[in-house]
Amino acid sequence: MATIIIDGQNYDLPEGAKFNAIQAARHFGIEIPYYCWHPALSVVANCRMCEIEVGSKDASGEIKMLPRLTPGCQTPVRDGTVLVTDSVKVLEHRKNIMELLLINHPLDCPVCDQAGECGLQDYSYSHGRAEHRFVEERNVKPRKEVSDLIVLNTDRCIMCTRCVRFTREITGTAELQVMRRGDHGEIAIFPDHPLDNPLAGNVVDLCPVGALLDKDFLHNQRVWFLSKHDTICTGCSTGCNISSEENAGKVWRHKPRHNPYVNDYWICDEGRYGYKSANAPDLLAGSYILDGGDHHGATSDRFFKRLNEDLTHRILDKQSVLAIFSPFLSVEEAFSAASWVKHLTNRNTMALGPVSVLGQDQTYSPDKLTGRSGDTSFLVPRPFTISAEKSPNKAGVSFVINHFQGSNVVSFEDALKLVPSNPIVIVFGGSPNSDWITPEQSAEIRKAERVILFDTTINVLADAADYVAGMATFAEKAGSYVNRDNRLQHFDAALPLRDGVWTLLDILAILRGVGRSPIESRTILAEAAEKILALAKAVGGQVPEFGLNLTGQDALIPDAGFQDDWTMASLAKA
Amino acid sequence: MAAFEPVLSRNWNNPDILSVKTYESKGGYVGSRKALTTMSPDNVVDLVKASELRGRGGAGFPTGLKWSFLPKDRKETFMCINGDESEPATFNNRYLVEKDPHQFIEGILIGCYATKANTAYVYLRFEYIKAIQILEKAIAEARVAGHLGKNIYGSGFDLEIWCHRGAGAYICGEETGLIESLEGKRGWPRIKPPFPAIEGAFRKPTVVNNIETLACVPHIIERGADWFKSMGTPKSYGPKLYTISGQVNRQVCVELPLGVTTNELLEDHGGGVWKGRKAKAAVPGGISMGLLKKEEFDIPLDFEEIRKTGCLGLGTAAVTIMDDQTRIIDYLYNTTRFFAHESCGQCTPCREGTGWLYKTVSRIRNGGGRTEDLDLMSHLANNMGITPGTTICGLADGAAWPIKNALAKYREELEDFIKHNQNPAYKITAGQDAISRGKSPLASNTSMFVPGIGLAKSLTN
Repeated sequence: MATIIIDGQNYDLPEGAKFNAIQAARHFGIEIPYYCWHPALSVVANCRMCEIEVGSKDASGEIKMLPRLTPGCQTPVRDGTVLVTDSVKVLEHRKNIMELLLINHPLDCPVCDQAGECGLQDYSYSHGRAEHRFVEERNVKPRKEVSDLIVLNTDRCIMCTRCVRFTREITGTAELQVMRRGDHGEIAIFPDHPLDNPLAGNVVDLCPVGALLDKDFLHNQRVWFLSKHDTICTGCSTGCNISSEENAGKVWRHKPRHNPYVNDYWICDEGRYGYKSANAPDLLAGSYILDGGDHHGATSDRFFKRLNEDLTHRILDKQSVLAIFSPFLSVEEAFSAASWVKHLTNRNTMALGPVSVLGQDQTYSPDKLTGRSGDTSFLVPRPFTISAEKSPNKAGVSFVINHFQGSNVVSFEDALKLVPSNPIVIVFGGSPNSDWITPEQSAEIRKAERVILFDTTINVLADAADYVAGMATFAEKAGSYVNRDNRLQHFDAALPLRDGVWTLLDILAILRGVGRSPIESRTILAEAAEKILALAKAVGGQVPEFGLNLTGQDALIPDAGFQDDWTMASLAKA
Repeated sequence: MAAFEPVLSRNWNNPDILSVKTYESKGGYVGSRKALTTMSPDNVVDLVKASELRGRGGAGFPTGLKWSFLPKDRKETFMCINGDESEPATFNNRYLVEKDPHQFIEGILIGCYATKANTAYVYLRFEYIKAIQILEKAIAEARVAGHLGKNIYGSGFDLEIWCHRGAGAYICGEETGLIESLEGKRGWPRIKPPFPAIEGAFRKPTVVNNIETLACVPHIIERGADWFKSMGTPKSYGPKLYTISGQVNRQVCVELPLGVTTNELLEDHGGGVWKGRKAKAAVPGGISMGLLKKEEFDIPLDFEEIRKTGCLGLGTAAVTIMDDQTRIIDYLYNTTRFFAHESCGQCTPCREGTGWLYKTVSRIRNGGGRTEDLDLMSHLANNMGITPGTTICGLADGAAWPIKNALAKYREELEDFIKHNQNPAYKITAGQDAISRGKSPLASNTSMFVPGIGLAKSLTN
């Protein structure tokens, strides 16, 4: 067991942990402030904020301290490492660094988008001086448009070079570079080579200050008005962990959440801007019944009553049901829906909705050796994949269908061929894209006697179906998805339900006659876990922070959960 | 002291020495032949260790010790020769390359043999165009003559030397900055550890030596460690090239045993202060080393004694003399401008601190100074360069040292200057002045309400 000493206290390092001083201290709830260091990027030690006193205790118990302050980020801890993070020398040094970082900073917090989540603000409060002694003229640096989506305010930059390292080490595209020397140094792109790689938006999250900002979010909201909700991106089958940030009934942005087993610290731009469909103005806003060639809005009572009567009548006539499950359904929704279909009749066929595949998987495999040299045993580069399969839960929905059908999942193409033999077609949608179904496919389905659709968008099938019920969008519902690696991940709702619609879970509970109180997704997941072998690990509907590996055992990652942020909030978590 | 016989500069008056034939006829390539054919690499390292040769680049690190840090089981080693020589007023390396290139090549050969490096990179500063032309010609001739290439002197040792010209940055004279630059990257010094001996150029063990250091090596091989130690002062042995420049009658590069005094240099070699004036101060070895007062001119210029005067060290032994009409503020202006321009911009204290010092010194020089600016500068200099420093490399220490030295030795003059040189055009505004004195609305007698923290009195302490 390796023991280290921080501020005079002994701590036992977890087994197999390879930490640097910052990680180790934070693991035990002690903060060492830092800017330039990032757990997924190489160590440059240039901000000098994390400098502490470092020493070692030898076998005889004697402690020898290094004469100079040493950056915590470049100090791997091992048995006998001694760290002093709260001496006068260290605290004084932090004040000096804060003062120096601010002398050429414009201090334009009132008009800066980063205000409220800014490393300079937070550390100024906790580590800086309130006065400043700088009376000279500040350097004035330009604002640069580095891409259509990102703006670079070089005057606010503190030259931590995280963004530069990201484009070199993670994406390998190297659009960004440092230009000029000394306090005239600037981050820059090469002329006509914008920062437009598929992961480019991450540099905005990486930037500890307001230098790199997202034009899409610029001046839209002050960050302190936003409520953060832990969700999963529905853009592809990778299942990136994201934080969906909402205010006044709208989602304003998606930010990545750390999950070392899935997306590490990143998300792709497609997922980042995927929030927009949550705010789409033309979503289904109620329940509709096709009557005399026209859709008429129906109260939910009337809708459920008519639907139940119609279905009961037809089932008694021994009509069979074709049920189509979108890969955008959560595991719970699919399970509930399939249970209902099974409950209606045994003469049913369950099929998977259309799964769109665009191009090929794009994998970014960072190579440690592209970074700079040094002992980086504590740095584990993890690959990031943008999946070609553009739906979040094909695996989870397939588990459910397999369970109820006891045979292979019917594909959407095959399902269309089955329409003539099934007078009732029930479609459980949920895709945020209204073009998930083509007019031809819709016409094919319409050939059935009765078409029932639960969906979120107004699409060609909604125009044609006999019964159309609006349901919660991906942002309005909670549940879980199973990603491409068979990892079950829970997500929360980010937005309140829009008027006139229910969550699919509630709709199905009513249709099954289970009750009218709101259904919790965890209850359904617990039920599914009991019945479906593939989901058996989700006992009681409980899903841990980083998700459940349904088919294997996760490798132990000691630094998992290291949130890269500037506030003490994450310390409370640790 | 016995009469000193120059060795490094013995051929400087012979323009023919540029040809390998002439150099050989003058006893050249004897040391390298001796080392490669009769000594093992470890013998060479031991001999250099015994001579107590210290690196001539500025820090004075023992060369033999540096060589012995290389890992024993290394497969490939690189030798980098630091000829970036961008410390102001330093030109001894230039003389060595331009006036006797084969002596230098012989030194590289022995150094590479000792460290088992088969590739050597000579990193020369951008401006040394003539030196590069001479050196490349000399390397080509040495290869033809069998001093470079495969199986040199039948010893089985191979060596290739490549010249690399810098792009004009002071920071590339820092050994890891040099390596980064050599690799084609931005010349930003690397964090240490790992030191270059473990992981240097192209992630291989690397030795970085100064030109003058290597030029000494052939003579140590030829004449032995005792001969080398017969010159100089305790812990600082051997011959050293001193350059003398500034306000003197003769600006020269002379070879002398380590430990001469500034007075000797000035009077015997520099021909005294120019225009018949008196000396006021001197920079002992490149401007990052600090400042010597006239009263300290009799201190030996070696690696140890000079530190007692408060200077950072001997540095490059480039002595710059200032006459009695030179203003210390001008000296500070020049040094701070230089460091603000040359700071690589990587570490916060250096990047921001050098710029701040330059702006403050400029303001004082223009007539906008306040006496408390001196305290501010002193505090700032101490923050930037608490030796040992707070930054990746030593540039911040070097940038802060002249400030600390000048304030320690010439504070009265600076205060006097501020008092008598006031120009309203450069004065800071009353508001700026008040804020910097802590008389803002946030001064310590008022409390600021900070959400989540409450009344934050401690913030202003």
